[in-house]
Amino acid sequence: MEIAVSSSGSVTIVEISGSVDGLTAGLLMRTLSDRVSDGWPRLVADCSALEYTSSAGLRTLLGAVKLARQHGGDLRLAAIQPGVLRVLDLSGFTSILKFYPDVDAAVFSFAEPA
Amino acid sequence: MSSTGRRGVAVVIGSGSVKCAAALGLVNALRRADIAIDMLVGCSAGCLYATLLASGRTTADAAQMTRELWTSSITERHNRGAWLKAAFPRLFNFDARFGLRDDTLIMERLHAAFGDMRIESMKIPLHLAATDFATGNQAVFSSGPAIDAIRASIAVPFLFSPWPINGRLYIDGYMSDPLPVGVAIREGADVIVAMGFDSPYQERISNAGRFAFQVSAILSNNLLKSQFAFHGLAHHAEIIPIIPEFTQRIRLFDTEKIPYIIEEGERAAEAQIPYLSRLLDAQTPAAADAD
Repeated sequence: MEIAVSSSGSVTIVEISGSVDGLTAGLLMRTLSDRVSDGWPRLVADCSALEYTSSAGLRTLLGAVKLARQHGGDLRLAAIQPGVLRVLDLSGFTSILKFYPDVDAAVFSFAEPA
Repeated sequence: MSSTGRRGVAVVIGSGSVKCAAALGLVNALRRADIAIDMLVGCSAGCLYATLLASGRTTADAAQMTRELWTSSITERHNRGAWLKAAFPRLFNFDARFGLRDDTLIMERLHAAFGDMRIESMKIPLHLAATDFATGNQAVFSSGPAIDAIRASIAVPFLFSPWPINGRLYIDGYMSDPLPVGVAIREGADVIVAMGFDSPYQERISNAGRFAFQVSAILSNNLLKSQFAFHGLAHHAEIIPIIPEFTQRIRLFDTEKIPYIIEEGERAAEAQIPYLSRLLDAQTPAAADAD
């Protein structure tokens, strides 16, 4: 897994490539929680190059979204690929996370009234 | 453990009728990568494959056996007494052992395939999940005659009658958990490879039977999601979902599609083998000692 962090206004964009799993989930959680701790709770995960997530990855996503929301922000997913979406759907995550077709739409969503 | 000293995995095969044959493709991929299976868990038709694999059958044997066992003829013979009981319950003493299809043929085939095999005597530890008809709770059979547990776990409501074991009645395992990952967690598995399937929705609701199947599919698909979500978040280690993508529609008894189903199962599994190998390598005692 590779992670690239950038920002757009008050929104942090975390580009995730490869697989979020038991061997890589810790790094992703640290990255996301560090941003929230630093005062950047509005997070967009660019999932256009995310190929897979296992149960460890799902636990990380859940932990990150709870942390972000506790700090007044959110974790929103952009450009999710069909294979990953199937796992998220199977795991009930499509009912608690917000999904957007691309990063721009996800970033823009934070400008809209909640 | 495998010949490389790796730990093995628990394989959970969910309900899915003939689609469960995809588990044979999964096992082919695991064996090619020298990943041992420490435990098998089956539910509904997944019980057929889990039992065949646990007993040491090759995947080719298992494919051939289920092609002969799981044909549409097993549901063709009506249980006339059940129809009369449904129409005139008081007159014909309706009871809990209600099933609209005669199960004589399926029992003959189960006997031919599994004989007097016992669950506790398998080469790989095996757990078969059904549902207690009185309480709705999941029931897990880890010992006893394999045939009874399989027959219980494939007792599709309305189609096949609930099956008695030790004085209790059991129905299809999908009614309590279509992908019983929790059984593997409870039995101590660390790395769990879970192969699950959605129940197909009806293309047309043209009769009461299709109506009932549609309702059942909605319920079981939502149950699958909620149970899998809970187990995924509750498990201390790793659950790797393997979800084959079928571009062809697969009906209940499309056994002629078994080669295609196996191929798709293998393809879905192959995509996760590199990660699974790395994960198991990281968990070997030697790797842990080096940390």
